[in-house]
Amino acid sequence: MAHSYKILLVDDNPLVLEMMGRALVKEGFTCYKATSAAEAILLLKKETPDIILSDYEMPDVNGFEFRQQLIADTEYKNIPFMFLTSKNNTELMIEGMNMDAIDYIIKDVPLPVIVSKISNVLGTIREQHQRSISELSKAAVALHLNSIPQQTPQIAGYDINFWHKPFQDYPGGDFIDFIVIDERFTIIVLGDVMGKKWGAWFFSFGFLSYIRAAVRLCIFDGDVSTKSIMQKINRVIYEDPLVSEVLSTLSLLMLDLEQSTVSYTGAGDLPLLYYNKVHDETRRVTSGGLLLGLREDGDFDENIITLNPGDQLMLITDGMTDTEEKGRKRSDYQLFENAVVPYLGTPDTFTRFKESDFIHEKTTAHVDDCSLIFLQKQA
Amino acid sequence: MSKLLEITQEQNVPIARILVQEANLSHAGQLKDELIAALDRYGNSVLVDFGGVNYVDSSFLGALVSSLKYAVSKKLDIAVLNPNKDISDLFALIRLDKVFKIYLDKEEALTKYRK
Repeated sequence: MAHSYKILLVDDNPLVLEMMGRALVKEGFTCYKATSAAEAILLLKKETPDIILSDYEMPDVNGFEFRQQLIADTEYKNIPFMFLTSKNNTELMIEGMNMDAIDYIIKDVPLPVIVSKISNVLGTIREQHQRSISELSKAAVALHLNSIPQQTPQIAGYDINFWHKPFQDYPGGDFIDFIVIDERFTIIVLGDVMGKKWGAWFFSFGFLSYIRAAVRLCIFDGDVSTKSIMQKINRVIYEDPLVSEVLSTLSLLMLDLEQSTVSYTGAGDLPLLYYNKVHDETRRVTSGGLLLGLREDGDFDENIITLNPGDQLMLITDGMTDTEEKGRKRSDYQLFENAVVPYLGTPDTFTRFKESDFIHEKTTAHVDDCSLIFLQKQA
Repeated sequence: MSKLLEITQEQNVPIARILVQEANLSHAGQLKDELIAALDRYGNSVLVDFGGVNYVDSSFLGALVSSLKYAVSKKLDIAVLNPNKDISDLFALIRLDKVFKIYLDKEEALTKYRK
């Protein structure tokens, strides 16, 4: 998968840069070129390459000094680094290897050999990385730490489905839960801990535990209001110094089978989309609540939506509204709404939307964790 | 590490211009550090200028909110200046417009925050 790798080449000789750059691009790498360490640092502010290849001997700042600058910067020190040298100088090589460089490359070696060496190194790094992720994921599964459920509840007369794609396939900050309280009530939980990858993932368990506890405590007390549940969750998070610095959105829905209603309370979340079958129209349902833990009184409210046969609801996290066009990212809820509306109103809405170009694009080029929960009352 | 915020003062109000176009997780920690340092140094509320920013992710917003919590604990404020339409829509969608005062007119913001 050479095409997905980005390489930063640093050499004061434009000819070397041009030749190596051309060979690497031909092999499918993306190449950034810098003729000095200073130029390389400027490039690094905009792009994070998968590997840096730098010459030893350069005027002003040489390769060693450049390496030292990178090591001193937490943002750059972990980018894999290889030295390029025109001489087979053992001392230089040893010194270079002592600076956490992965390897060195002798420039006189034929280009195909250089290219395959770079491919091998990047392949090995990727493999190790995947292995670490898979080990951690295994440990999490062994500890029953799931922030995304394995299955959806089966509720007579209703369909509940979800779709989730973590950012770059790391477990992330989005969390989903379905809590079947009894024959009458089912709680649907969708949240997004602000942050990505591991940090957010670890916190999502803490949030989920609080949410599960608050749901149960409210139900035991006979208080079946999503607003009360949300207030309890918010209060605990606000008071807990461990999680109060971590912010999270939360959409909380309670499906009441007896009344055919859904109560909805949100905390800093995106609006729900509600499709009304009788009028064949879609509208946003917004809540007033602030992000969890932000203020002691989170300004929460409760919306009650009556579900008639064929009515549908969709809840999402912000990854669904983020897009990237020509390297420029933006957030636009309307884009999501425009994409999903044509699919609403049929019994197979979820299946068809999951196969849509929009979801396909989210799977391949998304910029954040993406989650969607779909609920419909069968017609 | 290079600065994320360029801070200038107008009428004694520090204005912190964000120097990246795409403000994301990789800048979140730095935003909080630099904002807290600015609040401490100037002892006044800070206007965060989003004029040059195209996109913010939730991690960056998280850091902005957590800086605001610090500001409030010091009886100060953090306000948002010049967000583009996407960003100001996002603030409204997730009710951050109830938490941050958002200004499109710098003079109006300065009138509010100058001491």
